[in-house]
Amino acid sequence: MRRPGWLLAVPAWVWLLVFFVAPVLQVLWFSFGYKPGIFGTHANDVLSFDRYAEAVTPTFFATFQNTLWVGIAGTLLCLVIALPVAYWMAAKVPARHRGVLLALVLVPYWTNFLIRTIGWQIILSPEGALSHLGQALGFGPLDLLYTRPAVLLGVVYNYLPLMILPLYVAFDRVDPALREASKDLGADRLRTLFGVTLPLAQPGIIAGIVLVFIPLMGDYITPTVLGGARGMMVGQLVASQFQTAQNWALGAAMAVLLILVIAATLGIAALLAWLVTLPFRARRRLRLGEA
Amino acid sequence: MNGQPEIRILASRAAAPRIAAGISRRRFLELAAAVGATSALAACTPTSRPQVQATGGPVESELSIYSWGDYDAPEVLDAFTASLGAAITMDAFNSNEEMIAKLTASKGTSGYDIVVPTGVFIPGMAENGLLTRLNLDLIPNIEHMDPAFLRQAWDPQNDYSICKAWGTTGFVYDKTVISRELKTWSDFIDAAKNEASGKTSVLDDPAEITGIYFWANGIDWNTTDPAQLDAAEKFAVEELAPHISNFDSYPGGEAIPQASQVLMQVWNGDARIGILNSPDPDRWQWVLGSPATELWMDNWAIAAGAPHPEAAHAFINYVLTPENALAELDYIGYHTGAAGIEDAARDAELEMLDLVFFTPEQIATMNNGEVTEAQARIVDIWNKAKAAAGA
Repeated sequence: MRRPGWLLAVPAWVWLLVFFVAPVLQVLWFSFGYKPGIFGTHANDVLSFDRYAEAVTPTFFATFQNTLWVGIAGTLLCLVIALPVAYWMAAKVPARHRGVLLALVLVPYWTNFLIRTIGWQIILSPEGALSHLGQALGFGPLDLLYTRPAVLLGVVYNYLPLMILPLYVAFDRVDPALREASKDLGADRLRTLFGVTLPLAQPGIIAGIVLVFIPLMGDYITPTVLGGARGMMVGQLVASQFQTAQNWALGAAMAVLLILVIAATLGIAALLAWLVTLPFRARRRLRLGEA
Repeated sequence: MNGQPEIRILASRAAAPRIAAGISRRRFLELAAAVGATSALAACTPTSRPQVQATGGPVESELSIYSWGDYDAPEVLDAFTASLGAAITMDAFNSNEEMIAKLTASKGTSGYDIVVPTGVFIPGMAENGLLTRLNLDLIPNIEHMDPAFLRQAWDPQNDYSICKAWGTTGFVYDKTVISRELKTWSDFIDAAKNEASGKTSVLDDPAEITGIYFWANGIDWNTTDPAQLDAAEKFAVEELAPHISNFDSYPGGEAIPQASQVLMQVWNGDARIGILNSPDPDRWQWVLGSPATELWMDNWAIAAGAPHPEAAHAFINYVLTPENALAELDYIGYHTGAAGIEDAARDAELEMLDLVFFTPEQIATMNNGEVTEAQARIVDIWNKAKAAAGA
């Protein structure tokens, strides 16, 4: 007896529906409600967009801007740091040493996220080791903890492996023969990098950006531990609405807005990338046609 | 401590019918979302458990306590487990609102046995079915309590609660940075705007932030006057927030020992822990908030649907013995309400007792908080202040 092929996809669809679609719909539903009183968290008998209006008032909107700033700056920093590291690991290091390097990238990632972040809190505190070292060298006490740069440092540290790994895989898949061919055809190193290696690694770059940017935008631990009041991000705002203010409706509206901001940012980034690479692709297509 | 002002819980006329209707509405939501993952999981545990009553039977093997951070002496917890066999799991909250949110959301399935609400929240929690009645027969050690700290206005028969600790709010500042003497909440505000700007933390608890404004300006901090609340919001969001670098309910844990802030609003016991743990205790100065400040009393209570009620009663009974009360005071730095504990603490020569015991004149300046119809507004102000501090 032959079973239809879609049967194999049923577990995946059930998983998606139960653990992704349904919760998101529930959050969406809550976001149209309101908070009925101190011992109630949400009510949906009157539906409105009022919570969205509240969430975009200037006080809360500033947190959205801050989050977007940290998200974009953090993702770009991760990309800039990870590109040479991943390229070096994939193309320059002898194959037998790559396992060790991969382990060095991954092993810190096995440690609990919160513990690693609290480690930075201790390092960055004005009475911490780094501050004492700076003072011994003649600088003033370190004044970084509970600022936005501290959050940026924390997120770059925390999400860097998520950028290095897909880039490494992408560079690893680029056949060295293609780089050699590029050289043989007269391209210099820079031309080879931008004309051959990076375009071929594009799927890895996109995967890395998506993998880093999305969780980073929703991060709640890093800004709580390192950001204090000044490095506040939307994740904290949502958490405080759900946990302390017990205003699930407003928290849900903020969460939905965050999803929209992330989607819009990625959409705009994809559009920009497409526009920027358009001339290159057009030229390449032309050449192929001539050949 | 007796003769409390009246306690108004859920006084808003508009809110009362909505809360009554809330139960059926929530049921409806559960059904509506039955396909959803969260409710599918919730359906695995019954939403309304039969109330388990403690009868003095055998103590269960586990006990879970949901309390304020670092609020029990580890040696007392260990000794309880060693002598009665129940392994203790601790979880901490930052504010009553947070704890109530969790208990309300889980509808008796939170898994917590003991919770430690501040007194004024108890009537509302009991009314909304978040607490189980205590079986005082199983807590004979209540006899060691000073009667002044029992039978409070919020729970006149100790049906739901027994005093765990009481304390007050003040602030701590770094004398190496702020060389002048700070004495009042007005001084606190002034220093926050000047020497300590960007190095000031306030408690991560809604009423404490508006409290600073009300206490400094001689306004009743339980006011429901919209004009006063507007003024408090303007102060918190526009004046104070730009100078705040953290919302931290426990600066004694990290900020004081690591010297990461210069000026911190802090509860007295936490200030004591922080200063005792500081490598340089002399740089810190504790100031009791004045001209007025808060008086709070946290209470042992048992959550509705507590899975280990026998262990919960046994634990409450256990901590009330004079030795354990003293060990708790030594660790947390708060008066536990036990009779004769001040003399016992002085005899034991515990450190920094001026942060634990207060004179009758000082106590006269402390006022209980209330849960009023302004509660939602105060939480709203706190939210806006938090967002503004990050802007």
